[in-house]
Amino acid sequence: MIPTSWFLILSAILFTIGVCGFLTRKNGITMFMCVELMVNAVNLTFLAYARQFHQLHGLIFVFFVMAIAAAEAAVGLAIFISLFHHRETIDVDEANLMRW
Amino acid sequence: MIEFAIFFFFAAIAVIFALVVILHRNPVVGALSLVASFFALAVMYVLLDAPFLAALQVIVYAGAIMVLFLFVIMLLNLQHGSEPATRPVQQFLGYAGSAFFGLALVYYLVKYTVLQLPPGPFLSDARAIGVTLFEAYIFPFEMVSILLLAAIVGALLLSGRGARPEVAR
Repeated sequence: MIPTSWFLILSAILFTIGVCGFLTRKNGITMFMCVELMVNAVNLTFLAYARQFHQLHGLIFVFFVMAIAAAEAAVGLAIFISLFHHRETIDVDEANLMRW
Repeated sequence: MIEFAIFFFFAAIAVIFALVVILHRNPVVGALSLVASFFALAVMYVLLDAPFLAALQVIVYAGAIMVLFLFVIMLLNLQHGSEPATRPVQQFLGYAGSAFFGLALVYYLVKYTVLQLPPGPFLSDARAIGVTLFEAYIFPFEMVSILLLAAIVGALLLSGRGARPEVAR
């Protein structure tokens, strides 16, 4: 069997890639995809610990995280469509009305 | 061991396509790479004795959420590289900060999580998940259904014509 630590390290690498993309990109939808990447990395951690301790609760949490990610994606993309209608761009630096 | 070969092959696929997501400038390529990365993660879920969640990962994430992303990218006609360049200081701070964060994360994982291999296979079929979901977690389950309803209403309200000020008035 594959050790649990390897899954945790893979999850850490994917989470870090997500953080890096979120910090360095300006396209709103790409930043959103990086958030999905981080959410999936955390799901992998939940499942790795669920198998490690033989608990079903980790799997249930992954189920809830998927449902909330779906809701978040729907609302977030609707916000980007609305932003595009107003500003003709989804560059997040352009949406600076509430900055500072 | 065939299991280890599968793990390394699909871990490499997941990491490489995740890097394509953050490095490629075309959002359509990024979304399709993210689908490939999610498929590789579904293989990881199968290796972790959770085939039901692997199926959910493919159906819900790769099937539904990423199709929504692709629809929005194509609706807004973003595939022609309209993204402006990031400031160099932001790029440097982003890469340096996340590299430091990732190295610290992996360092502490290697140092402190000395886990024994779990005994025996882990029974987590759809039946066991369903029983747990509808006995211990029935209240959060209903809350999630209300949340999804609120998300549907919110998405319709935000993306519909009513969100524009000249029509709302």
